[in-house]
Amino acid sequence: MENIEKKLREEAKRLLEEKRVDALVGYEAGTLPLTATPCFITNSEEADRLVWNAFCTQNLAKYVHDLISQHRNAQKRVKPEDRKKKVVGVVARGCTTRSIVLHLQERQYGRDEVVIIGVPCTGYVDRKALTVALDGADIQEGSLAGDRITIQTASGEREIPVQDVLADNCRTCKFNNPIICDVMIGEKAPEMLGAAREYAEVEEFEKLSTEERWEYFTKEMSKCIRCYACRQACPSCYCPTCFVEQSQPQWVGLGEDATDTQVFQLMRLFHMVGRCVDCGSCVSVCPMGVDLRKFLKKLDKDAFDFFGNRAGASLEDPPPLSTFKEHDKEDFIYNP
Amino acid sequence: MARRKFATLKSFLDYIGIEGDRTIFTWVSASEGERFANVIKGVTAKVQALGPAAKLVKKL
Repeated sequence: MENIEKKLREEAKRLLEEKRVDALVGYEAGTLPLTATPCFITNSEEADRLVWNAFCTQNLAKYVHDLISQHRNAQKRVKPEDRKKKVVGVVARGCTTRSIVLHLQERQYGRDEVVIIGVPCTGYVDRKALTVALDGADIQEGSLAGDRITIQTASGEREIPVQDVLADNCRTCKFNNPIICDVMIGEKAPEMLGAAREYAEVEEFEKLSTEERWEYFTKEMSKCIRCYACRQACPSCYCPTCFVEQSQPQWVGLGEDATDTQVFQLMRLFHMVGRCVDCGSCVSVCPMGVDLRKFLKKLDKDAFDFFGNRAGASLEDPPPLSTFKEHDKEDFIYNP
Repeated sequence: MARRKFATLKSFLDYIGIEGDRTIFTWVSASEGERFANVIKGVTAKVQALGPAAKLVKKL
């Protein structure tokens, strides 16, 4: 991974010097030990801030979309002949490129407005799992070498293998190499060990009774405090005005009433049919640890079983809900 | 396309615990008089058999 960081910085320097991108979105070291945070660099001197390691959590496609939308909005007030094009570069791993492909399928911006630097990925660390593994101890210092993390806490040194604290979605990821890219840094990453068991959790849940499933749903959603961090972090949630904020008509109440929260989550998750790339951003930013992926993965499985489609897997596929095939599933239709 | 949306919705609602029979979809036109009546009778019967809904009901 260190080798990849070096090549990444060189590539970023080159792109910025040649002015092929106006801004580059990547990750830099965070303020706390063992964290990485998104960063935006605009000139080649800043390229050395870029990092690429197992702590790079966020899906950067969200920022790409935000930057391009902001630019377009600003350009609306400029005369057509004076308008400038802005190109955004992004350090993209597999799920990030899937989100970008999704944006391109949904015509959010043109292929020429984004330059994708592909990087291989072997998963990122789930911070909540790391905290649990340390029994809640504060991380005073830490470092990552190969596949082991060494941590200094108040009570001494601990070593934890990365595999133990990998994020759930990373364990079963089938798309850990970029789908599309302009430049690929390094060699392709090997397949994740759990890739074959991708839907095991969903299938387990389906075996439970209706009442048990409902109880789990209500229990998880009772944790939700309506902070909307999941919506803000999700690259597929890019509506300028979210349905929650509409008041004419008011689709769902804003308060913390349990039913309102259930309906809000139900609706937001349902907007993700055929669009969720399983990047895990929603789960990693949720302050309450709501298990959203149990439900999102079911939508992913349905889209795959019913329509043979994986979100953002290929630029040529149309979005599954915008098309139909003659022999689509019909057995659910009531016909007296 | 509506067919696809409803297939997914029914499957999803059933997954989170809303009984499968509460979600019913059908193709019917207002000019299919008798069939329309049959559909309504059938749906009403099905839903009544399930009893009052207790889930996702907001108490004001």
